[in-house]
Amino acid sequence: MEADLSEGAVATAPARPHEPVLRWRSRAHSIEEIEQELSRIWSQEDASLNVDLDGDHVNDRHIAARTSVMNLVVIARRPEVGERCAATIQRLTGRHPSRTMVIQPADPDGPSWLDAQIVAHCVTPSVDVPETCAETIHMTCGGESGRHLDAIVAPLLIHDLPVTVWWPDEPPFGSVQVTDLLAMADRLIVDGSSWHGTGITQLRRMAAAAEQFPLAISDFALVRQSRWREAIAAIFDIPDFLPYLRHIRRIAVAYGVRDEGGAEETNIVKPLYHAAWLGSRLGMKVVKPLAAMTVGPRKPPPRGRGAPLATPGAGLAATLRVERTDVAVVIRPVMSEMPPGTTLRVELLADWRGSELRADVTAEQEAVHVRVWQDGVHALERGFNAPRRTDVDLLEEAIEAGGRDPVAAGTLELAAELAGGPLHG
Amino acid sequence: MTTAVPKRRKTSATPDAPTVAPETAPDKTPHPAPRPKDAPKTMKELRLFREGKRKPPPKQEDNPLREGLRLERVPDPSTLVLFGSTGDLAHRKVVPALYQLWRTNLLPHEFVILAIGRREYSDDEIRAEYRASLEKFSRVLPLDDAAWRSFSSRIRYQRCDFADAAGFDKLVKTLDAIDREQRTPGNHLYYLATQPSAFAEIVGQLGRVGLDHERHEGGWRRIVIEKPFGHDLNSAIRLNREVGKVFRESQVYRIDHYLGKETVRNLLVFRFGNGIFEPIWNRRHIDHIQITVAESIGVENRGAFYEETGASRDILQNHLLQLMSLVAMEPPATFEADALRDEKVKVIRAIGELSPDQTRTAVVRGQYGPGWVAAKQVKGYRQEPEVDPESETETFVAARFEVDDWRWSGVPFYLRAGKRLPKRSTEIAIQFKEVPHRLFRESNTDPDPNLLAIRIQPDEGIMLRFGAKVPGLGIDVRSVTMDFTYGSAFSIDSPDAYETLILDALLGDASLFTRADEVEGAWARVSPIIETWAESPPPEFPNYEAGTWGPEEADELLAREGRKWRRI
Repeated sequence: MEADLSEGAVATAPARPHEPVLRWRSRAHSIEEIEQELSRIWSQEDASLNVDLDGDHVNDRHIAARTSVMNLVVIARRPEVGERCAATIQRLTGRHPSRTMVIQPADPDGPSWLDAQIVAHCVTPSVDVPETCAETIHMTCGGESGRHLDAIVAPLLIHDLPVTVWWPDEPPFGSVQVTDLLAMADRLIVDGSSWHGTGITQLRRMAAAAEQFPLAISDFALVRQSRWREAIAAIFDIPDFLPYLRHIRRIAVAYGVRDEGGAEETNIVKPLYHAAWLGSRLGMKVVKPLAAMTVGPRKPPPRGRGAPLATPGAGLAATLRVERTDVAVVIRPVMSEMPPGTTLRVELLADWRGSELRADVTAEQEAVHVRVWQDGVHALERGFNAPRRTDVDLLEEAIEAGGRDPVAAGTLELAAELAGGPLHG
Repeated sequence: MTTAVPKRRKTSATPDAPTVAPETAPDKTPHPAPRPKDAPKTMKELRLFREGKRKPPPKQEDNPLREGLRLERVPDPSTLVLFGSTGDLAHRKVVPALYQLWRTNLLPHEFVILAIGRREYSDDEIRAEYRASLEKFSRVLPLDDAAWRSFSSRIRYQRCDFADAAGFDKLVKTLDAIDREQRTPGNHLYYLATQPSAFAEIVGQLGRVGLDHERHEGGWRRIVIEKPFGHDLNSAIRLNREVGKVFRESQVYRIDHYLGKETVRNLLVFRFGNGIFEPIWNRRHIDHIQITVAESIGVENRGAFYEETGASRDILQNHLLQLMSLVAMEPPATFEADALRDEKVKVIRAIGELSPDQTRTAVVRGQYGPGWVAAKQVKGYRQEPEVDPESETETFVAARFEVDDWRWSGVPFYLRAGKRLPKRSTEIAIQFKEVPHRLFRESNTDPDPNLLAIRIQPDEGIMLRFGAKVPGLGIDVRSVTMDFTYGSAFSIDSPDAYETLILDALLGDASLFTRADEVEGAWARVSPIIETWAESPPPEFPNYEAGTWGPEEADELLAREGRKWRRI
């Protein structure tokens, strides 16, 4: 089957600064045809990309076809997810030009087929600067081909450039499909806070994947908390408070649920990351993993790696240890109008040389608020602007993390340990 | 060709920044290191300490939670006290930079701008004026109304004549009230956007009322001083002395806004973040270096100011020598402020001081006459408003310097700056040596030596020129260029230099500010030139036509060594 060449250069008005403009569109039905189309895009003479619908030249802008800085692979189970991701990526064309492949597996039981649409978007930084362009390949793969994502991706990768896999849905960690794809990836981007149930099983499987592959993992759930981390870190920038940091006794994180029974089905990845970030930065180890808190006589928590996490109804408790000191970790649900799983409060309690420090960090509209008491005396109150961050912001920060971010890796590792350990297989 | 996005320094480099009410006077700059309370004070204590008979002072621990934080660190809650708040600099640069920082959430939630000026204004009037200025000078338009509302609510105005002691007494009370009500716990950044003549007076007044003291119950105190810092070596030393009577060096931030420019900062990344350039960055491979700061505009409405300064004081002493030191410096051991500045100072000290005879041969001055620039007829300098019709002020300077050290011995640095040149352009050109052996003798043209041009403005970027074979059957070599432009590679607005510098000052990072010894070192190189000119016969000005690249003598400066200025 031959590529449909009836399209090609797309006529549009000159780009406005920072507004991505569609400059090319064509279709293909095999990997070879996609490769041919990609060659055609950048071998066009400049002027041919600048014609209006009547074939008249509309401007003489120079198209700056340049090397991309990465390969970005998006696995989208639903078309609308793929479109949303593609739109997000277009906003980053100027800063992170990439060859993007949006892959949507379909009809797994039917015959193998491939349908691809190749588009190129250009963006101009300012009026008198050449455009920069990047290509996106939207692929729908039917039948058996959709189960071999690595075989689709590998031939279309730009040599030597890092491969980032963005999996906006829930990756089936442990499956051959994911394993083969992650084997060729340098970075995996997910949103753990969107996973079903508590999200903990998936998180443990992701931690196992992180052990298996030399992979940098960026979780939007963790990236979103950067202002919280800044606010908490700022408390201990104050020399008087810094000594307490090594003597934290309790970390309590409250998260929102809509109704009393909602905790069992509420994703707790975000509150878990808060505790795990603090624990990992302070060199804490897990003594007792998270277990349901009970009212009345205390029952021994489940032991051993891979033990199922008890339901979090009344909250979860764990014990960390730093040097020879135990640190209590509590993650508890609180009724709230906020989206379920949203962190509402992080409380820290520390004792140092007979003196007590209590820090209370809360979210208030688009700000994070810090209050600190030293020996019961109010010692600090401070706000941090924390505007809601879009997918573009999150993707940008995830991409720019570069290499294997030790903070993210340490947080994921301890979060998985708190949840019972990485889940292999 | 792409380069890494130059990241702002993350906070782990300055981990000891206090926020509020530390028991000890906080000093956020890492060098000189604050003296620990129990550090040895007497010779006896020092000897015991060295002999291991006394415990070493406890090391200030870093905040482990800072590690790996990717967001810009938000400065401590603070008040920026803006002197000269009704002036041009405040309206054009400082307030737009602050607004942009606020809009992008880089300023603390608890932040107040206390505008100080001699005129009578209410808070609302100064806010209205700033709003009007932002409509013209903000780099992101239209203004974000919500951001403006929250930003403007943090602006206060206080009338204060700099000579008026009572005004500064009142300032103390105002700042106390702000600290109490707005939870800005004594952290003050004094920004002097005034005429240079007012610097010493303001500093003296601040010292008199104790606003320099980093009090034990209050936070840090810093002062930002705009250029020009002095008008010759003696005045710079005097001003440093006056400032030093009140503020410690670690509290003083002298601005040269060129150092805040993205490309200038990228120069450090380019040199020390890439492995391939540093091995050839020396006398063995580099023939010479040219640094150009060309302006197409004249003196505009700053004739009176320019009459007092001229190109040497306005550009050579600061921007040109700063760029030269960044090009020539050795790699610093760390990216901390004093490590960086130590290396820059070494370069400036290694520049030979020119004798009167050397000045006559190695430095060229010029003044523009009438001419044409950008298809418009323009007046000569002496016809500009507020300029003496017999003025001897130079509007152009070109100089040949050498850096007398192991790396650069024998490599000339040609520096030039001027007004009413054909185009606006600032760039550094590294001219490499010719190939030692001409292999392609059949080529019709001699290939030019390799050249690396670092464009600072406009079209910030980096260009590498090299020889390539012309397609065809023969061997013909032509020069081609590999061109990287920031605008194309990073489709985002770079922060304005003032945004970078103000944020750094609030964070206590002095890397991009000039230190007292740097300023004095630069004056020590430029003052003898100015003195030689003062003792020489009057120059035959004007000696270049507006719209040309300066006087012919500037070309001769290079031509007599077999070189020429790069065509820009």
